[in-house]
Amino acid sequence: MSVVERTSDAERASDNVRIRSGYSIKSILGARETVLLLVSITFSIILSFLSPRFLSVNNLVSIATGMTYDVIMATGMTLVLIVGGIDLSVGSILGLTGVVTTMMLRSGVSIAVSVTAGLMLGVLLGAINGTMISNFKINPFIVTLGMMAIARGAAVVLTSGYFLSNLPPSYLILGQGKLLGIPFPIYVMLLLVILFEYLLKNWSPLYTIFYIGTNPDAAELSGIKVGRMILACYVISGFLSALAGVFMTSRLAMGYAQFGLGAELRAIAASVIGGASMSGGEGSIGGTFLGVLLLAIINNGFVLLNFSVYWQGVVNGLILVLAVAVDAFRRARRGERRI
Amino acid sequence: MADVVLSINGITKSFAGNKVLDDINLEIQRGSVHALVGENGAGKSTLVKIVGGIYQPDSGTICMNGKTVHFAGPHDAINHGISIVHQELSLVPKMSIAQNVFSHREPVNRLGFIKWAELYRKTRELLKPLGLDIDPGRPVGGLSVGVQQLIEIAKALSTDARVLILDEPTSALSEKEVDMLYKVINDLKSRGVTSIFISHKLPEVFRVSDVISVLRDGRLVGTVRKEATTPEEIIRMMVGRPLGDLYPPKSSRVGERILSVENMTRVPAFRDVSLELFRGEILGFAGLVGSGRTEVARAIFGADRIDSGRIMLGGREVKIGSPRDAIRHGICYLTEDRKDLGLFLTKTVRSNIVASSLSKFVTRNGFLRKHEIEESSRYFVDYFRLKPSDDRALVMNLSGGNQQKALLAKWICAGPKVLIADEPTRGVDVGAKSEIHRHLRQLAESGVGVIVISSELPELLGLSDRIAVFNSGRIAAFIDGKGATQEDVMRYATL
Repeated sequence: MSVVERTSDAERASDNVRIRSGYSIKSILGARETVLLLVSITFSIILSFLSPRFLSVNNLVSIATGMTYDVIMATGMTLVLIVGGIDLSVGSILGLTGVVTTMMLRSGVSIAVSVTAGLMLGVLLGAINGTMISNFKINPFIVTLGMMAIARGAAVVLTSGYFLSNLPPSYLILGQGKLLGIPFPIYVMLLLVILFEYLLKNWSPLYTIFYIGTNPDAAELSGIKVGRMILACYVISGFLSALAGVFMTSRLAMGYAQFGLGAELRAIAASVIGGASMSGGEGSIGGTFLGVLLLAIINNGFVLLNFSVYWQGVVNGLILVLAVAVDAFRRARRGERRI
Repeated sequence: MADVVLSINGITKSFAGNKVLDDINLEIQRGSVHALVGENGAGKSTLVKIVGGIYQPDSGTICMNGKTVHFAGPHDAINHGISIVHQELSLVPKMSIAQNVFSHREPVNRLGFIKWAELYRKTRELLKPLGLDIDPGRPVGGLSVGVQQLIEIAKALSTDARVLILDEPTSALSEKEVDMLYKVINDLKSRGVTSIFISHKLPEVFRVSDVISVLRDGRLVGTVRKEATTPEEIIRMMVGRPLGDLYPPKSSRVGERILSVENMTRVPAFRDVSLELFRGEILGFAGLVGSGRTEVARAIFGADRIDSGRIMLGGREVKIGSPRDAIRHGICYLTEDRKDLGLFLTKTVRSNIVASSLSKFVTRNGFLRKHEIEESSRYFVDYFRLKPSDDRALVMNLSGGNQQKALLAKWICAGPKVLIADEPTRGVDVGAKSEIHRHLRQLAESGVGVIVISSELPELLGLSDRIAVFNSGRIAAFIDGKGATQEDVMRYATL
């Protein structure tokens, strides 16, 4: 017994040294973000040898622009995953809110009002998701699967399947305008990533979603506002999906019911690649951003190397399953009961 | 000897090195009602599970009708005529009575199709002697717990059971249903069926049984005929062990009233509970499992709604609608189930320690003051001598004792005025246990009102200044912690 105590004192001393030294090189290199960045860079180097077009400014800007919608949606998805849920309706909410915004614009409503209405519709749909899940305790998978079908269906009904073009030119500036040669949406995307990464780690209300996702019962008994934060995550997810819808319709100068098709899959894949766990309580916005980046580089490679675009869905699906499998394996090895 | 149907010879059983049963020898007379009594954890359930073939004994034998039998599983026991009616009902709510009674043993024709008419006829035949005249095609789900219990018995009898084991059959029953059950047990007795009856409740043991065996700490203390004993003697046999002075000294001074609960009711968990808690004292909650101790604690903490009653804090009535309200008023509750309801296992020690006190570590705009979080968490890690001493270790990698100390740290960090600790030392080794006792006493000395709930009577007697004894959802008595004996507590808890 006394031997044990003596060694524990020694251990404590060495622990204290370790704590004071702060971030070690090992902890930086071992971080998932670093690994993701290295993998992305490796892919980029390989691609730049395979295709000289890869490193062209045009191509890089187009990768970054293409990423914005996924990053914005995946940010919301990551919050939802951390709080222990899932949101399958992000792509459909993008489609529906985009359609509603463009329809209002075409009927002469001002840009400010149309955009606000689109965003508020996203908030409303997210609030419906969140209320069903947090108040009525309905399975998030089912609730958002239903919302996915409803929102997409509504968008198709509203447009009868047609493209909605002829939007006011000043609306197109939102998605196409540039500052210092870089499109506006890229600034917004980066701003959102930094903002949410910072809030998630430092702002108390958002920080509590890690507790909720890890153990909702214990969180409730610790005095954390469980229901309210679950609702908030789905609302944020709905809002960000609608924001992506505004940028997409502006960038492509039209509204279309099928915009955002399959986006939920990429958003989930990116979040999990970036460190989010399907069983809640883990994830980071920075990691998610890098997850989208990795997917974007891979998909860009498909285009540059003239592979059939039709294979992209197959590859994205494979990446999703692989990322989730790795996550499950990691947890099983750590000895967690729930996988 | 007279007609012995079942004899248990030298049964010993350990789980993970803990001896749960130690050399049990017991003879059960044919056609008798034999009661098994003892404190929680005395080994009653383990013993009947061995007799029912669910567990294998480490050593010892079981003889039926004079012949040694070996049960490889519940199936073997059933084939020998032994059936258990478990404490938790095992019926499938959506299926019919008949399907439940004959689950997996339905009469079938040569092609394997169920012969429904015969199934219903046989079920009716089994239900009749139990006083149940209901349609065997009805789903079990809508029936009362008492009727479900009788259907469980019918299920056991459908296997031609000669020995029926009832594991706390009355814990969920109303008084009327209990009467019905006794009648059934007596009927079975006249038909030559032997019953082994496990119960906490001494009045019913004395009412229904012929012979009583007492278990304590895995040993058989004795077997007596009902006529030859008294409830007092049985209680003495159940607890009879000396109390060591392993506990911190009792409170030196008790201050003003800090918490009072007036006529609090939540049907059916507890009724009309009133209590007072004074600054500087440790109040123990004693009572058997299901007596309402934990339910009262949860209600004070706002985790469960109350039907009526008042909670007063420092002389003023407070409305507590959620744990959040309770914590804001300084009422903290350390849950008995640390893994499912207490800790965030995959998070760090630091995250866990500040989990219920985040609001103390934020700026006006809600931003976390991480430096202060780190300082506080380090302080508590040192104070509780947690191992490992790195507060960034994941809680799931800590030992049980350290997890429990981390949980205690989490609540002390929240700055409680009242701390309710539910089974604070469950599953904890002896060393950590007395450390936790010391911390609880220090907390009380520093002016916090402490309530300790425990199933371990020695712990409760050693730690508490006063003990509230719960019995069937009411507080049966308040006992002074000094000089009280386990017999005193058990008497109020069981009678």
